[in-house]
This record gives sequence, structure tokens and C-alpha cells, in this order.
Amino acid sequence: MIEKLAQLHPEIALFAATCIVMVLGLAKSSFWRGMSVWVTGLGLVAALVLSFFSPQTDGMLPNSLPYLKAMIAAIGLMILPLMGGTVDRWYERTVGRGASFDPLRVTRGEFYAFYLLSLMGVMLCVTADDLIWLFLALELTSLPTYIMVAMSTPRLRSQEAGVKYFFLGALSAATFLYGFAMLYGATGTTQLQDIAIHFRTEGMGLIGTLGLVMALIGVSFKIAAAPMHFYTPDVYQGAASPVSAFLAFAPKAAGFVVMIQLLSTVGWGWGEHGIALPEALRITLWVIAAITMTFGNVLALLQSNAKRMLAYSSIAHSGYMLVGLLVGPGQGPIAGNGLGAAMFYLLCYGVMNLGAFAVLACLEKRDEHGELVEIETVEDLRGLHAARPGLAWAMTLCALSLLGMPPLLGFWGKLGLFTSGISAGEIGLVVIMGLNSAVAAFYYLRLVRAVMLDTRDEDMDRPALTDMFGRRVAAGLSAVGVLVVVIWAGQLQAASDHATEVNPRIRQFNERVVEAEETPVIESIARND
Amino acid sequence: MVKAGPVTDRAPIDSPDSGVRPRMLLAFDQSAYLPILLIIMMAIAFAVGNIGVSLILGPRREGDVKSITYESGMNPLGTARKRFNVRFYILAMTFLVFDVEIIFLYPWAVSFAQIDPRSPDGSLFLGRVLFFLFTTVVAYVYAWKKGVFRFD
Amino acid sequence: MIDTALFAQAAFPELMGGITLYHYLFVSAAMFGLGVIGFLARRNLIIMFLCTELMFQGAGIALIAFSRYWMNATGQVFVIFVLTIAAAEAALALGLVVYLFRRRHTLDAQAWAELSG
Repeated sequence: MIEKLAQLHPEIALFAATCIVMVLGLAKSSFWRGMSVWVTGLGLVAALVLSFFSPQTDGMLPNSLPYLKAMIAAIGLMILPLMGGTVDRWYERTVGRGASFDPLRVTRGEFYAFYLLSLMGVMLCVTADDLIWLFLALELTSLPTYIMVAMSTPRLRSQEAGVKYFFLGALSAATFLYGFAMLYGATGTTQLQDIAIHFRTEGMGLIGTLGLVMALIGVSFKIAAAPMHFYTPDVYQGAASPVSAFLAFAPKAAGFVVMIQLLSTVGWGWGEHGIALPEALRITLWVIAAITMTFGNVLALLQSNAKRMLAYSSIAHSGYMLVGLLVGPGQGPIAGNGLGAAMFYLLCYGVMNLGAFAVLACLEKRDEHGELVEIETVEDLRGLHAARPGLAWAMTLCALSLLGMPPLLGFWGKLGLFTSGISAGEIGLVVIMGLNSAVAAFYYLRLVRAVMLDTRDEDMDRPALTDMFGRRVAAGLSAVGVLVVVIWAGQLQAASDHATEVNPRIRQFNERVVEAEETPVIESIARND
Repeated sequence: MVKAGPVTDRAPIDSPDSGVRPRMLLAFDQSAYLPILLIIMMAIAFAVGNIGVSLILGPRREGDVKSITYESGMNPLGTARKRFNVRFYILAMTFLVFDVEIIFLYPWAVSFAQIDPRSPDGSLFLGRVLFFLFTTVVAYVYAWKKGVFRFD
Repeated sequence: MIDTALFAQAAFPELMGGITLYHYLFVSAAMFGLGVIGFLARRNLIIMFLCTELMFQGAGIALIAFSRYWMNATGQVFVIFVLTIAAAEAALALGLVVYLFRRRHTLDAQAWAELSG
């Protein structure tokens, strides 16, 4: 009990901040309401610091807490300045002009509270060692995001996106819940470690395989992978750009962490050389990864709306990261650590994707009703270099990094995925990934060409720079991050590899079973008689 | 390196060999369900009997008052198709919190009865559930401050 | 005094005598499947939401049956949390749907053409 609490310090910090933020959001004075974003930031900083002191756990990934939680808190901290002013902007102006304050009409406190709760859900996915816990953590990650999408702008589109996101999310939740139920049915326990031991001693069986496949398909909604990716462009387009940037990171991180936890119960000790997943799962993941990256990239090519393009690219990036999951932790001397590569790529993706959305969020234009809205299309970005060179460079750096251009962060992330894929012998998938990266170059370079090379027609009105300074800070942070984090890429990659080492107790369990073949595990005797 | 996977040849639970076990484990004491069956039958008999008896014995007078919708003694206002105020839905949602809270109280109540009243665990056990109830109260205070229960 | 077990056997010979895990799993799979079909086939948002609830409860039945099968309470504990999440989703769905209905005056999922492509 107490040891478990020691693992949860970052979450507790976030929860404390959540409570304070919700109270502050209802404060009568606008100064205290404005403090809510700072308290959110403070909570995230506290969580970041505390996560470095996270102990080793006894779960599936014993060393994962410091790296993964720190990554979640750090990216959350980077997205936070972008979030500023997303909700309540117009209402605060009305109050500023002397209208009386109605607590029912402000949503700022809830918005930041949901932001923190969602990040807390992702962290809880990391700490989880039990199916029930995993289920609750995944729901805690996604339930707040549904509301965040719906309330991110006052436009009808956002609410429709929120409803769509919610309904498909509920479908996916039911799917992975059914998968979890099957896993429990196959093993009689919800503890991931006990499930892993059961799978190793008694095999997976039909129900176990079915459960795991259903759970993976359900969770693929969170990471925006096939077959549950269809919502992505609509939801990202409907939500305000800051919320889209958040959606591209938090649920994805949660989904990948849960996938790793689930897959490590089976382990990567199967197949011909004892370094692959069981065949049924391997084929499932292979197909999901191939379809996801191809679908995402090909459809991104056809988009003229930058937000939809980034949404499809988000699908494609999930496909890349799935390659790492397929490879596994690299048992034996020949295979690279695919899990480490995927988790490092998640960090890279969080940093570079933020910048692309932040640039979109920084620019505004008048819509047909004369209201200022965030720009969305590639057309709006044309000639940005002449007007706003800083933003244009941020967009260029992030797009090139997303593409995987050598000196930038995205390249180092992708390099790890490629090498781990090759070392595990997944040549076919690596070739598909390479082809996809080439296809992706077309649309990322189109973004770069629009902002850097194209000139704006004289008769078109210029997108105005938003008055929210935080958004420019976020764009700057991301652009600088793409350049600077490269310096520590080696250390981060090593930390990520270390974090994703599968529990040695589970890995050595096979050997112990072989030794103890004459005296099998006691529970299994009890169960069979 | 040792190859993972099934190392014992014991039948997995979904194999036909183990088909006996579920039947054995899931068999229940059928006689325990007889009272439930009797209750259901009594309920049906009571409902059908009352309607039947009132059909046979009851006086029959038609009239305006008789034909209007029964609204628990109140005079019905307007049509049934009128849209509900959205506040009702909000109240319904806040009710859901209590609804779910009760589920958690059941296992607590069952195990609380087994605790020795003189042991120190009892007060700790009670304190935990009181804290749990308190968190709901906090949520309600928040909803109240937010103005959810204002009907103006 | 009638022999209650014999009475039950006589009343429902197959049903009472031979309920196995597989019967429960069949019911749960049927509920889940009906939920999926309903979710994909129906257009009314409320019905679609009810279908997701049906899927949740299908998983719940499977959990309870497995809990009985393995003779431990974990599955039942899981179900309590599933019910909690289902209630949270119900509140959320109600809020979103009511909000949308007030702006759109229809609950037809096909009526939203604004987001497509």
C-alpha cells in the first residue's frame, strides 16, 4: 500500500493542482481566475520533479516510471502555454467590460482541470500493474478529452467533433473492456504479472489470444491506429488547435503505454528465434502497423486543410511507432530495443508535433461571420515567411522534423525505429515504413513550400497574429526543442531503452518453469482438480 | 536462450477436455431459487388478480376527469410532448453520482459486518467509507457553487 | 413439503440443470454483438449510446461469469468499476447530446455534414 503510494507522487501532485484549479476557476476576481493556468503549470513542474524520484516497481516495466512520467509531464508543460486563452476568451472580455460574473458560464477551471486529469490518466497507465487499473486509467485519460474537444471553441463544429469523439471512444472502451474480460477469463487474475506467468506456464489458449487482440484493437483508438482511426481528422479539425495538439499526444501516449503493458504479458519470447510475439499477435500488429502508416500518409497527401493533414500524419506516426512495439524489448544480442525506440519517438513526436499545431493556433483570420478564428488551410499559410519569419521558421523546422530530416529530432527518433525493425528481421515492414516516409515528404514539403517559398497574393487578407503570447511561446519552445533536444538524443534514447526493459522476473520465469517441470505451480494444480 | 511458450502439456481452459469443470463450478443450489420463483409468481398473481377483480367488481363511470392522464394526484399541465427544461437533465446527472456511490457501499457493508466491533480496524474501516462519502459532498459543494442548482 | 430441487429440475430441466460458463459467455457475446450491430446500424444518438452501454454490460456479464468460474472476487470488483465508468459515460453522453440537441434540434448522426472529408 505504502510502496504503491510512493510510485504515485507525480499523480498526487497533479491531483492536488486539479483541485486547486477547479476552485480558482470559480473565483470572483479575474486575477484569481487567471492564476489557474499558473497553478496548472506549477502542478506539472512538481509532477516533473517528483517523477525523477520515482522508485523501481514490480510491474511489467520496472524502470519505466521516471522516464515515462517525466516525458508526460514535460510535454504537458510544453503544451500548456498553447492552451492559454482557448476557452472563456470572449466571456472574460464581457466581464471585463462590466458584466456581472456568472460562475455557470466560465469553463476555464474545468478546462485546465480536465487537462491535468487527462495527463494524470496517462501517468496512471504507466504505474498500472492491473487490468482494472489500466481500464480506469485509460478512461481517465479519455473522458476529459471528450469534453475538452466539445468546449474548445464555441462553434457548433467543436461540439459535433466532441460528440463524435465520445461515441467512438465509448465503442473502443467497450471493445478493450471486453478484451480485458477475456484476459481475466483466460487467466483468472487481473494482475498483469500473474497473467504473464499464466501465459508462460499454460500457453495463451483461444480466449487469451482473443482477449488480447480485442484489447489491442480497442486501444488502437487511443493511438489513432487502424481499424479505429477514422475519427482522427474530423476531431482534430473540429477541436481548437491547442486541443488537437494535446489529443495528438496524451491519448496516444496512454495507448502506447497500455499496449506495451499488454504485450509484455505475452512477451516477445516466441517465434523461430524466440524474439517475436506469438504468431497471431505478430500478424495482427503487423497488419495494423502497415495499414495505419500507409492510410495516414496517402490520405494526408490529399488534404488541403493543414489540420486534417496533421491529423492524418498523426495516424501515420502511430504506424511507425507500432513497428517498435512489434519488435519488442530486444531480447538476445541481435535485436535492438524496439520499445525504447517507440517511447523515444513518442517524446520526439510530442515535441515536434506541438510546433506545427502551435503555428496554426498563433494565426487568426476572420470567418464569414466576421469572427476571428484560427487558420486551418495550407492556403492561409502561404507567404508566412514575409510576414512572420519566426513562425515560418518554427513551422519549417517542425515539418522537416516530422518528415525525419537528418539533423533534426524526428530523424533520430525514426532511426531507432528503423534499426530495431531491421535487427528483428522485420524487413518487409521496414521497407513499407521507408516508402511511407518518402510519401510523407511530399506533404510536409508542401507545408514548407507554402510558408517559405510561396508569396501571398495582394488581394488576400493576411492572417493576424493572435494576441495570446503563450501560443507563440509554445511554437518557439517546440522549434527550439526540435533543434536542441538532439544534443541529448543519445542519453534520452538510452534512458528510454532502460525504461522499457521488461521485468527480468518475468523474462527469467521460463527458465524456472523448465527447472521446476516436475513440481508445477501450485495454483494450477488446485485449479485443475 | 529458452524458448517461451507453453512448456506443460496441461489442457488450456478452453479445450474440450476441461468441459466438465465449468459445469461443476457453476452448478448452484437450485432449491435456493425457489423463493424467488414464488415471489415472482405471487407478484404476477397479485397484479393480474387486482386488475381482474376491479374489472369485475368496480363501478364504471366515464367522465372528463376520469379520462385525463393520472399525474399522481396533480392536474396535468400542458401536453406530454412539452420539452423538459435542461436543468432536469443536469439534476439527473448529479443524481448519477449517488447512484454509483451506492454500488461501492454494498461490498463495504457486507465486509463491515464481519469486523470485530472491538478491533481498531473498525473505526479505520468506517473512516475510509466516510471519506469516500465526503468526496461526493465536495463534488456537490462544487456543483452548488457553480450554480447548477439555481432554477432562475 | 415438495422437494425444491426436484421441482426446479422438473420446471426447467435444461435451464436449471446445465448452465455452464459457456451459456453465460454466449449471453455476454450476444449482448456485445448486438451492441456493435446497433451502434453501426442505428442513427439516433441516444440509441447509439444505449448500444455502447449494452456492450459494457455484455463485458460485465462475462466478468461475473469468469469470476464465478475462477472462484475469486476480482471479476466482481472489476464490474463495480465498470458500472462506475458506465455511469460517468452516461452523464457525459447526456450532457453532450442535450447540448447538441439544443443547437441542432435533431439527434440524427447523419445530419452533421459540417465535418467530413
